[in-house]
Amino acid sequence: MIQFKGVSKWFGKLHVLNDINLHVTPGEVVVICGPSGSGKSTLIRCINRLEKFQKGELFVDGMPLHDHATNLTRLRAEIGFVFQQFHLYPHMTALENVTLAPTHVRKMKRADAEAMAREKLARVGLSDKADAHPSQLSGGQQQRVAIARGLAMNPKIMLFDEPTSALDPEMIGEVLDVMVKLATEGMTMCVVTHEMGFARQVAHRVIFMDDGRLIESGSPADFFDNPRTDRAAQFISKILTH
Amino acid sequence: MMLFYFQRLVEILPFFFKGLWMTVVVSGISLALGTILGFLLGIIRASGNRFIKPVIGVYVALIRGTPFVVQIFIVFFILPDWGIQLAAFPAAILALTILGTAFICEIVAGGIKSVHSGQWEAAASSGLNRYQQLRYVILPQSLQTILPPLVGQYVLLIKDSSVVSVIGVVELTRVGWLTVVRIPEGLMVFSLVGILYFAISYPLIRLSNNMEKRLATQQVML
Repeated sequence: MIQFKGVSKWFGKLHVLNDINLHVTPGEVVVICGPSGSGKSTLIRCINRLEKFQKGELFVDGMPLHDHATNLTRLRAEIGFVFQQFHLYPHMTALENVTLAPTHVRKMKRADAEAMAREKLARVGLSDKADAHPSQLSGGQQQRVAIARGLAMNPKIMLFDEPTSALDPEMIGEVLDVMVKLATEGMTMCVVTHEMGFARQVAHRVIFMDDGRLIESGSPADFFDNPRTDRAAQFISKILTH
Repeated sequence: MMLFYFQRLVEILPFFFKGLWMTVVVSGISLALGTILGFLLGIIRASGNRFIKPVIGVYVALIRGTPFVVQIFIVFFILPDWGIQLAAFPAAILALTILGTAFICEIVAGGIKSVHSGQWEAAASSGLNRYQQLRYVILPQSLQTILPPLVGQYVLLIKDSSVVSVIGVVELTRVGWLTVVRIPEGLMVFSLVGILYFAISYPLIRLSNNMEKRLATQQVML
């Protein structure tokens, strides 16, 4: 479903992604963790080409992203993306946030799009908030609307970039619950997060990044209980005590 | 004597209204054109092609950095040397449009840049193309920032339209000049001119202020 082959990226002289090789299979849930600045956000932003890379090959759902001829809007329609800061459209209601892309990209009829959007909002437990604007919603509710928006195009892949990092602690659970449900339903997911509970519960694989390199990859139990590198062990002890 | 002149002035009042109408027509047409072009250039300047952007930058800097009276002389007296001969009216429209476009372009570009880059990314991620991102996500949000200064700019441009009197367009200021030759009461004549400008500017100033207040309360709510 997603295949990185020797992908490298530089920001000026900074080597933010260093020879990344990674294969994500359909239905797989991959958690990506690592210290800040390790390149994990950049890595998942490459998957829907919010970031370009300079070297290597990347295939997503059969489409070659290293090829500039690839139709980006078609690619992105197959991928849902959830941001740390939600980035809901503030001038639209929750419902309109969800229907925007289907009506304009898929040319879905208004009534059909709204029915679909209500179903997605129900999935994230927000049926009653369809007509609310983002400013009237709590952080946790906003992020759940953002997930519903990400699901609106019936994507094959969902990407999450630190989806709970901007939330107050009491709201993290409601967002993670939605993500767990998605994972158990078989969605292919790449999640940048430090939520170890989530990783242990649903991740098939945990990837550890440091300094632009992918340095560990294994099952959650393996990774958290027996990290192979000192760097990962250090990192785990830090997020455990935190 | 003053009373006599005042009566004369009242007699030729229709002449002033004609001048006022010409001011409204000249500024109205150039503001409409300037708004369309200003939005187009502003959008390109804020989000578009990196080869065109610097060209627009140079244009805006030149227009902002030179007096309007010089610009209108160039359009009216220097273009004919290159074979482009314009009557006073189209020359005035052209010069005012060039001026308005430059300022409006800056306001629009500023408004678009004030929208968080995450909004572009969210819209792009959901599969919208560049035009759709702008049309449905970015512009509606930037309009809140753009409108108050845009209307404020309209007021400035309406006042700048007085400069086109120098090439002989008989608008409000020109009417003042022509009148003061026959009614040598400068204060009286140009007070009237001022009052008439104020009558079109003031509603726009109020509108701009109200929009700014509304924007401020909206931002508090967010």
